[in-house]
Amino acid sequence: MTSYLLFIGTITAIYALLSLGLVVSWGQAGMVNLGLVGFFGLGAYCSALLTYIGAPIGFGWLAGAALAAAIGVAFCLLTRTLRGDYLAIVTLGFGEGLRLVELNERWLTGGSDGISGIRPPLKEALSDLYPWFYFTLAWAVVALAAWALSRILASPFGRALRAVRDDEKVAAVAGKNVLRLKCQAFGIGAALFGFAGALYAHFTSYISPDNFVIQLTIYIFLAVTAGGYSRLVGAIFGSLAVMTILESSRFAAEFIPGLSAVQIASLREFTIAVALIMIMQLRPQGVFGLRNERAGANASDGAPHATAVPATPN
Amino acid sequence: MAQGTQSIKIGIVIPLTGATSQFGATMSAAAKIAASDINAAGGVAGRPVEVVIEDDQSNPEAAVRATRKLIDVDKVVSIGGSYASAVTSAIAPLCYESKTALFTSSGADSITKTPHNGYIFRTSPTVTLQGTRVGRYALELGAKKMFFLGPQTPFAQAYIDIISKLFKEAGGAGQGLIYEDKRASYRTEVDQALRTNPDVIVLGGYVPDTSVVLKDLYRAGFGGKKVGFSFGVNQVLADGIPQEVSEGTASLVPSASEESPAYRTLIGKLGRPALDSYSCQVYDHVVLTALALAYAAASSPSGTAVRDSVRAISQGGKGEKVSDVAQGLKMIADKKPINYDGPSGPLEFASNGDVEGVFFRYEQVQQGKMALLKVA
Repeated sequence: MTSYLLFIGTITAIYALLSLGLVVSWGQAGMVNLGLVGFFGLGAYCSALLTYIGAPIGFGWLAGAALAAAIGVAFCLLTRTLRGDYLAIVTLGFGEGLRLVELNERWLTGGSDGISGIRPPLKEALSDLYPWFYFTLAWAVVALAAWALSRILASPFGRALRAVRDDEKVAAVAGKNVLRLKCQAFGIGAALFGFAGALYAHFTSYISPDNFVIQLTIYIFLAVTAGGYSRLVGAIFGSLAVMTILESSRFAAEFIPGLSAVQIASLREFTIAVALIMIMQLRPQGVFGLRNERAGANASDGAPHATAVPATPN
Repeated sequence: MAQGTQSIKIGIVIPLTGATSQFGATMSAAAKIAASDINAAGGVAGRPVEVVIEDDQSNPEAAVRATRKLIDVDKVVSIGGSYASAVTSAIAPLCYESKTALFTSSGADSITKTPHNGYIFRTSPTVTLQGTRVGRYALELGAKKMFFLGPQTPFAQAYIDIISKLFKEAGGAGQGLIYEDKRASYRTEVDQALRTNPDVIVLGGYVPDTSVVLKDLYRAGFGGKKVGFSFGVNQVLADGIPQEVSEGTASLVPSASEESPAYRTLIGKLGRPALDSYSCQVYDHVVLTALALAYAAASSPSGTAVRDSVRAISQGGKGEKVSDVAQGLKMIADKKPINYDGPSGPLEFASNGDVEGVFFRYEQVQQGKMALLKVA
């Protein structure tokens, strides 16, 4: 049982990392990224291939994150005129496109056979302690990412991002470089997706294009929505909640009599869909709602006139 | 009978939801029937077996979580059923690292090339074997120029490569085209194929797209041979399109030994007129585990005991052919050698875990009915 919980815990950390990335690009900068699983795959393939030709594992992970970030920024530049639903649908297509590239470039990715035998870090040396090690490592990465992001998002940069999210025109009028801010946020998000992918690849030792399908995107959106889409703590909470639903339904199903295996499996999928609908109906802001964040220096008095933009005469 | 009550758990990881779930319902039913057959015969050394079915959601990521639960929480001795090749490749390391036997019906050649130490048994012919058989049959028909038409599936390119190579070796030529499935017309693809003047067309698709391709071939007046795979060219296809369109199309059906008493008994218990080969294989995965454990007679059942004893009960000239699990268990108890042949086939395994001695049924659509040409 312990090894199972450690395994699920490690996967949860990877989900949490993905959710953090989504909070940055969607929750803070307002760019829906339905192609996150594509960047997840990019990081996974990049690290798997680099370590296969002999690169150190740590380098592979960083390279995976860097490649995903670079592609993310390039993608953001390419789609700079798109917003909202239009951007969402293009990201969805982009993620699927990356999967098709993984499927068809057999010389590089092995096609549908995938890549197996991806090297795990220190597995031989640690033997029995290895699951504990990876679990701790994954959560340490999550903690580090959450800490760094909380610093970044509390800075003027973070406020500018939120201004872009709330109204691009206002942010531009206030002198902010909107495109640059969007690219940075999208890039940070993509880097986290890529790093999560690399962590995943070396954890399970096998990846294939089938790993990187829309299903995972849905889980991450559910996690972020449940937790509160603009909050880092919400992303971590949401990931824990989603994994708890996914895995506990496995055990709960055994107590429902008179259902066939197919019905039980369908019921589990159904639970996820119902959970998403319920959240959107009952608490659309998630467990941790949107917070009114004021600028540092004069935040203490909280009087409306302190933050209100003075009316400009026409 | 101290150990009498505690059941032996056998894990089943099958697609119950998602893109590959078309056989999920019969697969799970077959697994449960296998368990009840074994338990009705008194179980394994007095202990009942229990199948624990988990959904792979047609996704390797979900399959890995399901497998981890089966191995760590349920402590299963073996895992059966795994169907999609990506799922099997993903869960294989978990199985052989934890010394759990893995029975699979996946086709990808790469699966048994992993360092699995004998823990993997594949009951389905590999992609290479199926492609080779189809290619050889097309050559037997006297064809010189082959053209492969198939949808984007994991194996389409492999089929093209394998069959084209066979044709080139025989002094002919072969090429192929991979199309998008779910289209209403394949006129362009068919025209492109016919421009190369093929005398045989290999149909690599499933029933819906193969029906459309056959219609377009008929309209284009193609007069050469047509050969397909069992998942595309079968009675369902023949029932769905006019006789003159399907006439003469050949099909190769792997393994499921439809004349065998084991197969007849299984479809009787399921109450179905016929059953796909994959569900038959799931049945055999459970039975092979039980027979192997009964043979090993180990005090504590384990994946290693399964691995070491499967070949002793499934193959070899000495054993008496047995197709019924109850009879098999009884003979093992009497210390008689057996050779189990299940509903999915004779179940002989090479040293790398691949199934051997698979036979194919060569069938052809004749006036709207599948007619048997030969079994080889």
